[in-house]
Amino acid sequence: MTKGFFTDTTLCIGCKACEVACKQWNQLPDDGFSFTGMSYDNTAELGASTWRHVAFIERPVALREQDEGAFSWLFSSDVCKHCARAGCLESCPTGAIVRTEFDSVFVQPDICNGCGYCIVNCPFGVIDRREEDGRAWKCTLCYDRLREDLQPACAKACPTESIQFGELHELRERARQRVDKLHEQGLKDAYLYGASPEDQPGTEGLNAFFLLVEKPEAYNLPPDPIVPTKKVKAAWISMAAAAAGMLLAGLGAVIAGGKSDDVL
Amino acid sequence: MTTYYDRPLLKAPVWEWMISGYYYVGGLTGASLVLGAAAQLGDADGRRALIRRCHWIGFTGCTVSAILLVWDLGRPERFFNMLRVFRPTSPMNMGAWILTATSAGAAGALITGGRPVACLAGVCGAALATYTGVLVGNSAIPVWQQARQVLPILFGFSAMASTGSVFNLLAANEQEHRISGLFGVTGQAAELAAAFAMERRVSTVPSVGRPVKHGRSGLMWQAGTVFTAVSLLVTLLPGKSRKKRVAAGILGTLGSALMRFSIAAIGTASARDPRATFDQQLISSALHPSRR
Repeated sequence: MTKGFFTDTTLCIGCKACEVACKQWNQLPDDGFSFTGMSYDNTAELGASTWRHVAFIERPVALREQDEGAFSWLFSSDVCKHCARAGCLESCPTGAIVRTEFDSVFVQPDICNGCGYCIVNCPFGVIDRREEDGRAWKCTLCYDRLREDLQPACAKACPTESIQFGELHELRERARQRVDKLHEQGLKDAYLYGASPEDQPGTEGLNAFFLLVEKPEAYNLPPDPIVPTKKVKAAWISMAAAAAGMLLAGLGAVIAGGKSDDVL
Repeated sequence: MTTYYDRPLLKAPVWEWMISGYYYVGGLTGASLVLGAAAQLGDADGRRALIRRCHWIGFTGCTVSAILLVWDLGRPERFFNMLRVFRPTSPMNMGAWILTATSAGAAGALITGGRPVACLAGVCGAALATYTGVLVGNSAIPVWQQARQVLPILFGFSAMASTGSVFNLLAANEQEHRISGLFGVTGQAAELAAAFAMERRVSTVPSVGRPVKHGRSGLMWQAGTVFTAVSLLVTLLPGKSRKKRVAAGILGTLGSALMRFSIAAIGTASARDPRATFDQQLISSALHPSRR
């Protein structure tokens, strides 16, 4: 049974309750109390100890009720996408990263040896290694809560239903209706990001997808991410050619170098 | 172009110098075992010294490689977890098996001196020297992703160059120097060609190619190329003096080691630039504009 998130950014009010609920439930360590100077966002990014991150996008776009020339905010609560084809999972050399019975992507902390390969394989820059711990961490989709039929802490805490948790096909249906409604209301820019394999062939769809109203880049989301494993075949072919080339060069050197004294 | 306060989109690699060091040592190891296997060809009696030296470099190199890799892990005591699965989608898992097989082959070749086991070690060695290119290319980091087809070739030839340079530094006999010299020179010339090809390939998207040309990573990359080129020139100068060989060996070792370290630096710089990811994906995207 595929479970996931539908994060409707048009409903987000930037309260960061999801960030706090996630930290509390999962007992995540702090990641410094630094001031970034980026709007009201001092969380800055997802990481090993930050599994929800509310982005504060400031744009010179006046809302309907604002005077011309005013600026407005977009808020968006970012999270691990639990990709249908997950770069972290496919690249994990120990099998520490698995797909659960909820089709979420889960890092088993008792297996992970902290090699760091998942980190360069996530096209969303989600997973990271915790310095003091040595292992890779990311959102678990609150696996422990799901086992007890509870919804993830962030969705539970969200006061505006910007974060909706549920079965993926139901969420997709609900999201499409929401986009239609927003279009009717005049918000023509609303669209779904990663809601289906057609929307995002590179990942074959995200189990945690989004409703956005700006280009993905504005939210620091990749416009057309592709799981690296999907394109690696060409590299293996190059490797076979390179290995064959080395063996041939070795044979050539032995034949040419063994015969005469005047080479080199 | 729009970015989110210029914040990186991707996480930079957490790998330290040990991993770049391993790219170099693993390459040297692999290429030496390739040469050791090739030297078995036909009447190998006259090449015993060369074969023996190749196997020693192979065996020592495998040991050093394993130490470097375990050292860099976040949880070194769990290094053995690398071998609890066999997962072809993970080049790092494949690499763990390749290194295991190569170590066994190198040890077997050293102990028994048998031709079949030496040939096996050579084939494993060729894989060891080149799979690291696949490992790096299999990543979301734009510059590595863009270079994925060239990297295994670059790493393989650079490995040959490394072996040639190390032999230059050793007091080997004339025949050993002739064979390893040819092997190394071929490697250096091909490495330079592959480096040129990679630079062209990544520069097709300007923001993706940036770290190869600018900043500290670009400087390292260029310095590596220059060292290799100068080493090649020194080798091709007439004369067979020990001084000349040592000079070529030092320059060549610096060149191929710097190349490996610069690949790491280039990747880190690329991960920090969100525009590289955006540009790379938008240029090749087949998605309808309404979906991105």
